[in-house]
Amino acid sequence: MTLRLTINGRESLAPDDPMTPLVDLLRERFHLTGAKPVCREGFCGACLVMIDGEPTLSCLTPGGLAEGRDIRTIEGLSPAGRLNPVQNALEAHDAVQCGMCFPGMVMTLTHALRRNAAPSREELRHALTGNTCRCTGYERILDAALSAAGALQGGEP
Amino acid sequence: MIDTHPSLYIAPTLGDALSALGERGAEGAAFAGGTWIMRAPIRHQPLGRAYVALGKIEELQRVDVTPAHVEIGACATHATIAAALAPCSDLAVLAEAAGRSANPAVRSAATIGGNLMAADFAAADLVPALLCLEASVEIVARDGVERMTISDFLLKRQYLACDRLLSRIRIERADRRSAHTRLPLRKAGDYPVAIVSLSARIEAGRLMEPRIAVGSVEPVARRWTPLEAALEGAPIDIAAARHAAEAYAAYFQGREGIEAPGWYRISVLPALIGRALQSLSS
Ligand code: FES
Ligand code: FES
Repeated sequence: MTLRLTINGRESLAPDDPMTPLVDLLRERFHLTGAKPVCREGFCGACLVMIDGEPTLSCLTPGGLAEGRDIRTIEGLSPAGRLNPVQNALEAHDAVQCGMCFPGMVMTLTHALRRNAAPSREELRHALTGNTCRCTGYERILDAALSAAGALQGGEP
Repeated sequence: MIDTHPSLYIAPTLGDALSALGERGAEGAAFAGGTWIMRAPIRHQPLGRAYVALGKIEELQRVDVTPAHVEIGACATHATIAAALAPCSDLAVLAEAAGRSANPAVRSAATIGGNLMAADFAAADLVPALLCLEASVEIVARDGVERMTISDFLLKRQYLACDRLLSRIRIERADRRSAHTRLPLRKAGDYPVAIVSLSARIEAGRLMEPRIAVGSVEPVARRWTPLEAALEGAPIDIAAARHAAEAYAAYFQGREGIEAPGWYRISVLPALIGRALQSLSS
């Protein structure tokens, strides 16, 4: 069976079975390795991508259910190498350590700041419930996200 | 050559889903949010052969709230249920169960039907909440509709014929208060070690017809009937309720798990009863 997926605005074909987890299609078929299959349980958030604008666990999403939907990976959030405001803020705050969790962190924070231009630290903490980081202790990530608040209103990226 | 890959049919309507499940017979299975089925490999279980996806069926996603009752489609997600029930103080137990389980991305995908049909998932938050609300469920087939209490459904769900589908959950509303308490190992985003769901009428500071359900302690959630009887008509007294919970804790046999031993799950129940009562009375 061939799956027809729209990834970062481009239509892509995958000759795979429809129950293949989207994260494996992204990484193995399309070499988009930003999303990471870490727990494959929905716990860690390292595999998050946007589907139709919503942060979605690509480890638990079969490729067949992503057909006809707008899939955005971390690679699609920084077209032509331009970082989005969340990515810029994370870099400016020196928040990234090993980086394993960050593609998912950026998805969650980008979505949270699009929905709420002035979140509290506590609201961001709640938004990050499903993003596990084993290196940073989270505080600098929150500092960075708060500094980017307001910069994501009005659409892309 | 026989194709051994699982198939996935996206049903546009409930009728199509029932027909597809009937055609696929024992090889077929419904696919709702996928948060249980997609984890089959890490439970060392094989995926099924032929899935029928229900996520495009509009009537299964709806939550209808009236002053008399609430009807929840089996494919309503935890996030949808938490938002829809937020204004209903009598259903706080279910809104909290739906709004606090797992994490935001799981809550946006996981459905109430999936929670109820995953018979091996002992830590499902919605099950004890529905037990203490005495919910009923609707099972549809091409030849009709069957309704049963949530307790009956929990006994029968593993034996549901393959062409039948859990379609709707119904809760009668009443002048009651309710609360949901859970103890995860981390503060959030984790499976709970134990869950207590509580619903009661409060008259002159006394608990009337309390219904208490316990989840995650045993393989399947169930009501704590001896404690319900002990607290019937009792004044709201958290210390006394905790003592009563200690006295009736032997009602449960805690399940062993990698995250907690059975005895620990039971030992936290009096504290969860205390918290549930606190939140009921506040
Ligand atoms: S890999 Fe998907 S949540 Fe961890
Ligand atoms: S930076 Fe290493 S896991 Fe988050």
